[in-house]
Amino acid sequence: MRTKPATRFLQYVAVICYLVFLGFPLLWLISSSLKSPQEFASITPSILPKHFDLSNYSDALNEQGLVRGLGNSLQISIYSTILVLIVALPVSYALARFRSRLRPLTNGWILVSQVFPVILIVIPLFMILRPLHLTNTIPGVVIVYTVWSLPFALWMLQGYVAAVPRELEEAASVDGAGRIRTIVSIVMPLLRPGLIATAMFTFISAWNEFFFALVLLQDPQLKTLPLVLARFVGAEGQVQFGPLAAASVLATVPSLVFFAFLQRRLTSGLLSGAVKG
Amino acid sequence: MKKVMTALLAAGALVTLAACGGNSSNNSSSSSTEKVTLKFQSLAFQKTTVAATKKIVDDWNANNPNIQVEYVQGSWDSVHDQLVTQFQGGTAPDIIHDESADITGFVNQGYLADISQYLSKETKDAVSQGVWDTVSKDGKVYAAPTLMQSYVVLANSNLLKQAGITATGDSLTWDALAADAKKLTAGGKYGLGWGLKSPTATMLNLGLNFDAKYFDGSGTAAKATIGDAELEVPKRIHAMAYDDKSIDPTSLTQSGSDVLPGFYAGKYGMIVAGNYVAQQIAEEAPKGFQWEVLPPLKGTSTKQAANPQTLSVPAEGKHIEQSGKFIDYFMKAENLAAVGQGDWLIPTTQAARDAIQKATGGKNGWTQTLASGTELTKAPFQSVENYPKWKDQIATPAFQEFLANKTDLAALGKKLSDGWGQVNN
Repeated sequence: MRTKPATRFLQYVAVICYLVFLGFPLLWLISSSLKSPQEFASITPSILPKHFDLSNYSDALNEQGLVRGLGNSLQISIYSTILVLIVALPVSYALARFRSRLRPLTNGWILVSQVFPVILIVIPLFMILRPLHLTNTIPGVVIVYTVWSLPFALWMLQGYVAAVPRELEEAASVDGAGRIRTIVSIVMPLLRPGLIATAMFTFISAWNEFFFALVLLQDPQLKTLPLVLARFVGAEGQVQFGPLAAASVLATVPSLVFFAFLQRRLTSGLLSGAVKG
Repeated sequence: MKKVMTALLAAGALVTLAACGGNSSNNSSSSSTEKVTLKFQSLAFQKTTVAATKKIVDDWNANNPNIQVEYVQGSWDSVHDQLVTQFQGGTAPDIIHDESADITGFVNQGYLADISQYLSKETKDAVSQGVWDTVSKDGKVYAAPTLMQSYVVLANSNLLKQAGITATGDSLTWDALAADAKKLTAGGKYGLGWGLKSPTATMLNLGLNFDAKYFDGSGTAAKATIGDAELEVPKRIHAMAYDDKSIDPTSLTQSGSDVLPGFYAGKYGMIVAGNYVAQQIAEEAPKGFQWEVLPPLKGTSTKQAANPQTLSVPAEGKHIEQSGKFIDYFMKAENLAAVGQGDWLIPTTQAARDAIQKATGGKNGWTQTLASGTELTKAPFQSVENYPKWKDQIATPAFQEFLANKTDLAALGKKLSDGWGQVNN
């Protein structure tokens, strides 16, 4: 069935509107990062800077330890993502495939754990990590982020596992594959979009997280990117808008690259035709 | 199977990661002659202030090989939450930079040390009693007050000249402010732009101009007292906005720095803001923009509430004496002058204010700014435990409604008074 030209046109308009809606904040951020303080103070702000001023970038890079913060955030986010995937894959498989009375309880707990406010657990968490010498260390933060992201990651992955037809696993076992072999050779390749989506969620959660990092990391050498960005806000609501915008642009680049790299692998439809009927 | 697998993975990850981790701090008890390293978390924000603070630390370290200070950069935005956790976990920095309003709660909870014995007579005499009161309780001194801000009137010099206004003298009365604002209101331009999006701090600070108390007593036993003196500042602002129509009503919904573009564009002849805004104006105003700071506002006096930045030491700190000595050094006139000038804030000591006056020649409104700092003192609301709650839940919405002309003065007073009963039980 062919789409009518008018419908097609409206679809394009909708997509363009959506793209503008999504892209404008980024455009505004980049534009702001290139404006001088005088332009910021103009009563009639312009979308594009009148004069390109790169001093905000040099301020951001020189003054606040931004590069070190980027490195720390990248390290923590990647480690957390890998750990979450290592733990979540077998657990979500078990939750999706094995029927037991514990399953609804586990799923209930996963949901309930999402409603705890961070502020409620941060002090007990701090008390637990301190005797283990895990405060003020990158591994400590990685463990916290892993635990924090795990419930939602399990919830996400469970759905993907459930969508993999059991018949494929049965066919593999008929061919003589054991449970582990089936997971590795059959389920995991089919779960790739789910694993990518979960990785993205975990990475971005760790990349943007502020409060745990604030409390757990005191050494200036270990500060993550959100903590570095907070330095551009002063007392009484004073904000260094130019350097903050420049730092935010620089902070956005790694996550954009990460997403650009992963999103091509977010293909679905791998299962179409896998099972007849 | 599931349990075993998960447990093994989690335990393996934990052990591996824990093995990589190290602990940074090593707090052991020390005598005054033993070599120690103190962590100083500074919230210095402007580049110049960061540089000035680092220089103070370097100078100290050069002269005190046994008491080394390590500069750690903190952020105003998150310092409260950070300190709450650090106090709980016993990992607060040896020297804490914060504002007095924020440390009041920490003092009440016993987290801060009495540092009075480590402060020299010179330091004690240099700061006025009204300012010491903001960091003291039951005769003990829990912090050293360093820099303060005041509310000042900033004006467009050209518009003042055109309207034939000359602002001289030691103070500017509220009547004169209203008259000047009226004169400056013409041709679609307003005499005054006043960013009162968060009005409570401004109302209570400037309320001291008319001896407004708002509260009697301290702690949770405090009672709200809302009378004529307390309602004087809101009444005058409302009259300028809605009777004289000399305040741009839109500006009343904006923040202090939101009104600056309108100020530069000549939309308002004057603005009222924290004195530190002068730095922003000096940096970002269009070329040729002529501006000045007017003399301090005066009702029955030029008093305003002092909420100084402070340096304090955790009660559980291992190096209280050494930290106290460094704080005393920080309070020296040349040091306070350097950080004050950088942040465009008013030092708490007269000697430091004189040093800034000398260094700047009083330009960019420094003369008037420094003058506005001489009568800063503790306000009753600063001793009231549930003030932050009252401010957020009761006062701010009540003032906002009043400034939007949705309620009258009597209703405002009733809301402020009754609201205290709601939040303080």
